Amino acid sequence: MNSSVALPARRISDLLSSGLEARAKSKRDAMDQPRTDPDQELVKRTQAGDAGAFDELVIKYTPRLYGLVYNMTSNHEDTNDLLQDIFAKAYKAIRGFRGKSSFYTWIHSIAVNMSLNFLKKRGRRFQLSLDDVDASIQNDKEFLELTATSSPVREADLSELQRRLNEAMMKLSDEHRAVVTMFHIQGMPHAEISKILRVSEGTVRSRLFYANRQLQNYLDEFRKNPVS
Amino acid sequence: MDEFNDSEIARLLRLKRYEQPPPGYFENFLHEFHRRQRDELVRQPLWRICLERAHNFVWQLNVGSLTSYPAAVTAVLLCAAIISIKIYQQPETARVALQSPPAISVPASAEGEWNLASPVATQILRTQPVRSFHESAQTHRASPPRYVLDSVPVSYEPTFRF
Repeated sequence: MNSSVALPARRISDLLSSGLEARAKSKRDAMDQPRTDPDQELVKRTQAGDAGAFDELVIKYTPRLYGLVYNMTSNHEDTNDLLQDIFAKAYKAIRGFRGKSSFYTWIHSIAVNMSLNFLKKRGRRFQLSLDDVDASIQNDKEFLELTATSSPVREADLSELQRRLNEAMMKLSDEHRAVVTMFHIQGMPHAEISKILRVSEGTVRSRLFYANRQLQNYLDEFRKNPVS
Repeated sequence: MDEFNDSEIARLLRLKRYEQPPPGYFENFLHEFHRRQRDELVRQPLWRICLERAHNFVWQLNVGSLTSYPAAVTAVLLCAAIISIKIYQQPETARVALQSPPAISVPASAEGEWNLASPVATQILRTQPVRSFHESAQTHRASPPRYVLDSVPVSYEPTFRF
């Protein structure tokens, strides 16, 4: 699959920002009545053989899927490889996509399933390979509130906080980590998560409840010793 | 201090959104994706590439299956008609080929009996006497009468076809 014309940088940035907007919009859309899939036109064009249309889908969903896979694997290199495989699989399978769900749900299902399969094969043999924390976190309202109210967060530096959080996440089971990632980090509603995982909403809620309890235990050590 | 409550855990986890790949990663991702796809395509065996291309071509036709199905059926019927016409337009050359000294050493029966159960080609072979190569150059006014189905004049030399 080749794009005969490279997309200009401005076009790429526009598509990236539209992808970020889609994150906020997806939460609202999931609560509404079923509507026309916003990606329907791009999907149809891709199915008709327009490789450029699939390129636009790649650009739109890369940031979001990157976050999903990265927070499930806590490894940048694995995330990059997985993301390539996810889009390759999606491109091969898109002709069979019948639109019974939105493209958003469909590609997230592919991403979650491939990540879970990868994690099962990887097992316990892994090491953290964390991305840098963007400096804009210093201006985040919730971060400022946490540092103001929570002494462990205040005392630990950012890298220590990041390491502790990722270690706690990796102690969860793969399935629980997936739910935590989608709900807390990606901001997906329960209904959307249940569609992606093909489980009931009750199952999603119970997994979240159990995962929160686990994280409380794992982070208890951090609370007692914020500076290692 | 008590352990982190659910709200604090949720806030801590949301901070993970600030973990981002290196600058330019997303902008370069598409190019990297294309490069990998090309590399994978080159590694595939030729037969697999041809098979995938054929499959994609057929699948494209089926996308608008409701509109292309009649067209596909029409195309198939048209091809069958053309092939049939071409077959039926070659009776003379086929029969002349049968008249040449055949490699088949079928003993000629004195009189062929037309039997609807027997194939026509077999009947033609049986009704024609086996002729040697040297005899073919001579006219045979006194030769046994040819049957009506044989449209080639007696005086014409048979064309040797292999």
